[in-house]
Amino acid sequence: MLIWFLPVFLVILMIGMPVFFALLFAPGALLILEGQTRDLTLLYRNLYNGMDSFPLMALPFFMLAGEIMNRGGITIRLVEFSQAIMGHLRGGLAHVNILSSILFAGLSGSAVADTSALGSTLIPAMEKNGYTRKFAAAITAASSVIGPIIPPSGIMIIYAYVMGESVAALFLAGIVPGILVGVGLMVMVRIMADRYDLPKAERIVHHDQRISTLEYWVSFVLLRLNLGGIIYALTGFSGIRSERVLDDGTTIGPAAWTIWLTLAVCLVVAHLILMAYRKQVDHDFRMVCKKAVAPLQTPIIILGGILIGVFTPTEASAIAVAYALFVSFFVLRSMKLRDLGPVLARSAMGSATVLLLVGAAVSFKTVVALSMAPQVLADFILSLSENPLVLLFLINILLFIVGMFLDAGPAIIILGPILGPIFVEMGVHPVHFAIIMSVNLTVGLATPPMGLVLFVASSVSGERVETISKAILPFLAVEVAVIFLITFVPAISMTIPRLTGFVTP
Amino acid sequence: MGALLGPIRVLKVVNDYLLQLGRALAVVALAIMVIVILAQVFFRYVLNSALPWPDEAARFMMLWLTGLIAPMAYRRGGFVAIDMLEQALPRRTGGILALTLLVLSLFVLAVGIQIGWSEVTGFGGRFATASLYLPISITFDEWFRIPRSWMMASLLVGFALLILVNVELILRQVVTLFGNPDDLPPLAELDSAGAE
Repeated sequence: MLIWFLPVFLVILMIGMPVFFALLFAPGALLILEGQTRDLTLLYRNLYNGMDSFPLMALPFFMLAGEIMNRGGITIRLVEFSQAIMGHLRGGLAHVNILSSILFAGLSGSAVADTSALGSTLIPAMEKNGYTRKFAAAITAASSVIGPIIPPSGIMIIYAYVMGESVAALFLAGIVPGILVGVGLMVMVRIMADRYDLPKAERIVHHDQRISTLEYWVSFVLLRLNLGGIIYALTGFSGIRSERVLDDGTTIGPAAWTIWLTLAVCLVVAHLILMAYRKQVDHDFRMVCKKAVAPLQTPIIILGGILIGVFTPTEASAIAVAYALFVSFFVLRSMKLRDLGPVLARSAMGSATVLLLVGAAVSFKTVVALSMAPQVLADFILSLSENPLVLLFLINILLFIVGMFLDAGPAIIILGPILGPIFVEMGVHPVHFAIIMSVNLTVGLATPPMGLVLFVASSVSGERVETISKAILPFLAVEVAVIFLITFVPAISMTIPRLTGFVTP
Repeated sequence: MGALLGPIRVLKVVNDYLLQLGRALAVVALAIMVIVILAQVFFRYVLNSALPWPDEAARFMMLWLTGLIAPMAYRRGGFVAIDMLEQALPRRTGGILALTLLVLSLFVLAVGIQIGWSEVTGFGGRFATASLYLPISITFDEWFRIPRSWMMASLLVGFALLILVNVELILRQVVTLFGNPDDLPPLAELDSAGAE
């Protein structure tokens, strides 16, 4: 009897009940019909306990950090920086759009924020440069799906929590697939540039830019610290700081002064390299790069903190908020105190709806476990084929279709607990499967007829959704190809988490 | 249908007021969450002495944030749904479908608020929280240990506000179906961040 809750759920979901209510209604109604009204309390408790979680707190914080970063100033800096690097290529602004999305993805985990922020600056600029508006809107929408794949990522936090995976592992696993989507799109733009004769653009938009003294010094210090840090990490291979074994068999680490001296030397080397580089480039290029340093430090702080193992993702997200506030209030001065209330309210409202969904998903999951649904479904799936590769192919198609109609977050919440265990049982690594699901459903944000990102791109550009849907097809083809690549070559997603020890081989 | 417009206006004023209050409190809760977690990081890594309470305090705030501001998101259409069928159907049929779904949602909320009440007033709510205290004298000599029911009340309040919103939406839907939708006082539009 309880097995019916899945069909009931699907029907009420399809006819338009909000996902939150549907997740509670279907199991609740069947429990009542079965006379197990006492288990309703269990549903309620799981809803509450599902939201009462420390790891989940990363979600509101990353949303907030993204919102703060989004308030002017930062978007334009990223775009100008990307343009200084790729603007002179054929199809320049299209490349710039993609590169900006990759950089933006490291600051915010949201494809919608990406589309509205980059779209409102880049779509008019591309039109002025001679692109059609539909092409500009399509490439903005297509590249924005990189946002939730490269960390930080809202949907990966949700997946990790609902499925009991490590957020850090999923974050690290998403880096290469996200860049791969970007590179794939750039290749497509390159091909189209030849065929449709897409224009080049100037590398520098605004000449003779000025920079405030504080920002100058912030970039100055950050650049040297980062480069010095990289060089310092490399000295680890040289053996200067390695442990020594004494005669009696005990080992001692390097003396404190060796560490500090190495670090100091590294910083000096970094400084000399940067000073040498400064002579090579012209003033305008230097200014554009300098202005991008403070925003681009955010992903380094987040990932660096998690990688070194200093912060949990939740703490890293709170630090990202603090850093975003510091940058926008003091360095860029793009935010005023009165902007803070609306930004907090927007993030609070977004978080609240997602948190309720996650809580409801946790109660839904208990009933999924109580019913025989996973077993029945597993039997059905295994009856189709016993070859995991064939099944992964089929699951990709299923996820793609689901992605057409449902947003990524709710889809992951609903399908993760049902599909995840089946594939993990078959030997697919949980983190690999998480990436397959996340990337696939994220691309679903840009697929017609129901693509959240398409709607946003339409409202930003003023172009009709149908027109953008047609123009986006070549880019979607690239993204589908990348999805299959990720699915059948696990090393793409698994290498970084394995090397850093966040996933046991 | 004119008879319904009176209650709708009253409900709108009540909801406007309560939800604005909820929004303001949720904003404060989010700000406190950030401060508390940053304090935790500071004390643990800089001062090397971890505080016992930030984790629980931040979760306390997050639960209240959800309960207080989610109803506003619901009222402004922020709850994700697949509304393709409703759009595709003729206006009247689609309206009846929407009304049915609202009533079913009310059913979920009604069951939820009953369980919520018995949970908060029941056995589990009487336990104390692990680490949350409030001073109850001006000299900070006496401390009151916050019971878990204070934390659990967040979802109950959330359900109560959701019911208010749901009833308002039902009444509005009835007027849209059988009366003149132009008479309805307009609702604010959604302005929210998303996880996607």
